[in-house]
Amino acid sequence: MAIPPQTAGGARVSDDLEDLISRCALGDRAAFAALYDATSAKLYAVCARVLGQDHAAEDAMQDAYVKIWAHAGRYRVTGHAPMTWLITIARNTAIDRLRARRLHHDIEEHHGGIAAPGPSPESVALARSEAGRIQRCLEELEQDRRAAITGAYLDGLSYAELATRAGIPLNTMRTWLRRGLAALRECMSR
Amino acid sequence: MTDTLDDDDMLAAEYAIGLLTGEALEAAHARVGSDPAFAARVLRWERQLAPLADLPPLAPPAGARAALLQRLFPEPARAPFWQRLGLWQALAGGAVAVAVALAVLNPGPVAPPQTGPLYAAEIASQTGDFRVVALVDKAQDEVFLTRTAGAAPAGRILQVWAHGPDEPAQSVGLWPDGESVTLPLPREIAAVRGTLTLGISEEPPGGSPTGRPSGRVFGTVDIPGVTGTQD
Repeated sequence: MAIPPQTAGGARVSDDLEDLISRCALGDRAAFAALYDATSAKLYAVCARVLGQDHAAEDAMQDAYVKIWAHAGRYRVTGHAPMTWLITIARNTAIDRLRARRLHHDIEEHHGGIAAPGPSPESVALARSEAGRIQRCLEELEQDRRAAITGAYLDGLSYAELATRAGIPLNTMRTWLRRGLAALRECMSR
Repeated sequence: MTDTLDDDDMLAAEYAIGLLTGEALEAAHARVGSDPAFAARVLRWERQLAPLADLPPLAPPAGARAALLQRLFPEPARAPFWQRLGLWQALAGGAVAVAVALAVLNPGPVAPPQTGPLYAAEIASQTGDFRVVALVDKAQDEVFLTRTAGAAPAGRILQVWAHGPDEPAQSVGLWPDGESVTLPLPREIAAVRGTLTLGISEEPPGGSPTGRPSGRVFGTVDIPGVTGTQD
C-alpha cells in the first residue's frame, strides 16, 4: 500500500473514472471519495466559472456530487465519456443555482441585471483536444453567435436576456443561436 | 451539413442548454422519456457542448471534501468508547499485529496512557536520505512527527498524508519548517480502523494544489492493527 504520486498527465486517472463511477453505483464510498479526488478540481472550475469563485460555487459542486452519487447507475445509458457526464451535471447544477439566484434578485431588487460572468473561457488557452477544438470552432464563428452560445451555456442567459444584451428581437436571437450551433457542430465534426 | 438545424435538433439543443421554459420544457422533457431518437439528439448536444465547460482545474476549498462526505455519509466521528477500550486491550495484551507494528519502531512503544494507545512508526525514503519518526497518539487523535534525516528541498515544504484501508490519501497538515511538528488528525483519519497509512511528500509553500500529493513522496508506512477488534 502506498500513496501514489500524482502523475502530471493524469491519463491513468481518466481511465479509471468509468470504473469509479460503476463502483459508486454499487454504493462504494471509497470509490466515491476517489472520484471526488480525481475530478473535483474540474467540477469546481465549472461551478466557479458559472457562479463566481465563492461559497455558491462550492455549494453547487457539492450538489453536483450528491447527484453523481445518487445517479451513478444511470451513467452508462448516456453513452457519455466520464468527464462529459460529470461536467454536464456540474454545469447544469451551477446554472440552476445561478438562475434561482437571478430570479431572487429580480424579485428583490426589480432590476433585470445580468450577473457578471467570470473569466471568459475563450481567453484561456486550453491544451486538451476537445476543449481546444471547441475553442477553435468558436473562434470561427461570428462574434455575435459565439456570444450567444457561451451566454446561454456558461452564463445561463434566457432568450430574452440574450436578445436584450445583443439589442435584437428575440426571434432574431433564436435564429443566431440556431445558425451558431449548426456552424459549431459542423466545425466540430470536421 | 446545412447552415442551420432541423427543428428537432434545435429543440434538442435548446433542451440540453436549458433554454426552454413552461409548456415547451414540459413537452421536451416528456419526449426525452418516450422518444429514443430525440433523447439521443439531446445526449449528442450534451457531448458537443460539454467541452465549453472543460476548464483548467481549480482546487475546491479545503473543507469541501469533508463537508460533502459528511453530508452524504453522516457517521459518528469517533468509534464508541467500548471499541476504543477493545483497542487498548489489544495493545496491552500484546496482539501480534500491534507487536509487528512496534517492532520496527525507532524509539519503541511508549506506555499507553489511560485513554488511548500510542503507535510509533518510521517513514523513510528508499535511499534513506529522508527519515521521520511518527507517533500517533489515539488519546489526543494527533500525530507527532520529528525529522531524523533529510528535509524539504529549498523553497518547498513537507506535507503529511494519511489514509485508511482502500481509501485515497488525504492531507493531515503542512509541515513548513522545524525539526518537529504536532498535527491533529482529521476526523476521517481519526476514525480509521485497521491499517493506517502515513506518508510525507514535498510540496510548494501552502501545500499541494491538487488535494493529493503532487511532489515527491518521500515514503509511506503502514501501521496495522489500528482497530478495536480483539484477536
